Amino acid sequence: MVVNPVGVLTLTKREIYRFLTVATQTIFPPLISSVLFMYIFGVAIGSRIDFSVTGLSYLGFIIPGLMTMHLISSSYENTTSSLFIARWHNHIQEVLLAPLSYFEMVLGLLAGGVARGFIVCLSVYLVSLPFAPIPIDHPIVLLYFMIMVSVIFSCAGMISALWAEDFNMLNVWNIYCILPLVLMGGVFHPITMLPNIVQKFSRFNPMFYMVNGIRYSITGISDTSILFCAGLSFLLAVSFFFFTVYLFKIGYKLRS
Amino acid sequence: MRDSKHAIEINNLTKFFGDLQALDNVSFSVKRGDFFAFLGPNGAGKTTTINALTGLSNFKSGEIKIFGYNTRTEYVRTRPLVGLCAQEFNFDPFLTIYQILVYQAGYFGILPGEAARRADALLERFQLTSKRNVKHRALSGGMKKRLLLCRALIHDPEILILDEPTSGCDLELKFLIWDYLTQLNQEGKTIFLTTHYMEEAEKLCKTIGIINHGRIVRIGEKKEVLRDKSLETVFLEVTGNE
Repeated sequence: MVVNPVGVLTLTKREIYRFLTVATQTIFPPLISSVLFMYIFGVAIGSRIDFSVTGLSYLGFIIPGLMTMHLISSSYENTTSSLFIARWHNHIQEVLLAPLSYFEMVLGLLAGGVARGFIVCLSVYLVSLPFAPIPIDHPIVLLYFMIMVSVIFSCAGMISALWAEDFNMLNVWNIYCILPLVLMGGVFHPITMLPNIVQKFSRFNPMFYMVNGIRYSITGISDTSILFCAGLSFLLAVSFFFFTVYLFKIGYKLRS
Repeated sequence: MRDSKHAIEINNLTKFFGDLQALDNVSFSVKRGDFFAFLGPNGAGKTTTINALTGLSNFKSGEIKIFGYNTRTEYVRTRPLVGLCAQEFNFDPFLTIYQILVYQAGYFGILPGEAARRADALLERFQLTSKRNVKHRALSGGMKKRLLLCRALIHDPEILILDEPTSGCDLELKFLIWDYLTQLNQEGKTIFLTTHYMEEAEKLCKTIGIINHGRIVRIGEKKEVLRDKSLETVFLEVTGNE
């Protein structure tokens, strides 16, 4: 329960202010890389790929994938860098000394990650319009998946920021775990294009269900049960959130 | 705030860092409105006690109460009552000094208009108004000390905890801080001060506690502790560093 709404809003505002002051590192790079992906893979190469099996153009297929990929990376990177820098400079004490419950602390930090994820994800959609003007089929479903995915990865970012001892460890999870799983989760290809054995493994990849949920909400086409995607995302979001609150409560690497 | 005669009550506080026992059954209390000096050699347990008091450190056993509220179970109530002026300059590098104060007030639930008013008043009081819109890196050491004080006071706490507030300060700043602390204490605030400057403790404080190797070795009203000796002599006697 939130008993200090001004405190939570202040923390959220501070988080948003932080990433906006460094927009050249936080907002613009994913947009530039998305435009390049769309041009190279969608326009230059994609026009030569027979993709009729999915019912979509190749460009129409990768745009929701790119949106998900940047939603994940932006949410994750926001909380990772913000919390880790706060630990590194020890100005995390400003928050730890305040009358905010651990639930509220996580909520405020999380809101910054969600906000950055939303801004980047929707901006990727906007810059995709000149390449392929795809209307959003299910905006409410899109909102649901955007919230769930950004909550999961904002919390994952906080867990990573608490775990990391130095800058070297900060991106370990992102580079060696999250990014490969996202790319193998069907950002650029339907998993039905993969060999049977790899397809089976892909069914255990949670990113597949997140990419699929967002792709469904935009195009109306899904590779698997959308209810399962929604349920799994919800379960993961709740689990990650409460695990992060627990780490704050025990003071994991926050209190000596 | 509960009607407790003690601002701070610490009972049987024990803290370990791995195998090292940093605090060994520490118990003492600080009266409401007191000016308390908490002294000890380096590594004696002063900062550890402060961290336990403010919730920045976990502890194995014991209990801490702030105006009767338990710091573990009622931390949302105890935190607004305490302002901490830490030893290190731990400021948010993304914010100007004015923003640091306004955001800090916000974390304590103070609305933006009131936060801005308080920030301006404190910057004025500590002669930092001209630096309002710069980041902390642009400040001198003395200015950073003043900013630490402003940040600790922004939510108008009942207890002000100062961890070596005048170390590295020139005389002028030291006197400014002393005057301000005396004034705050006269207004009814409880001050909890750690320092290595014996003359500072002797001049400002009403009560003195000395800790050594994680144990309280002397505590009482200034007269009682000194008994016609200088604080430096008493300190060296009880810490065994004579």
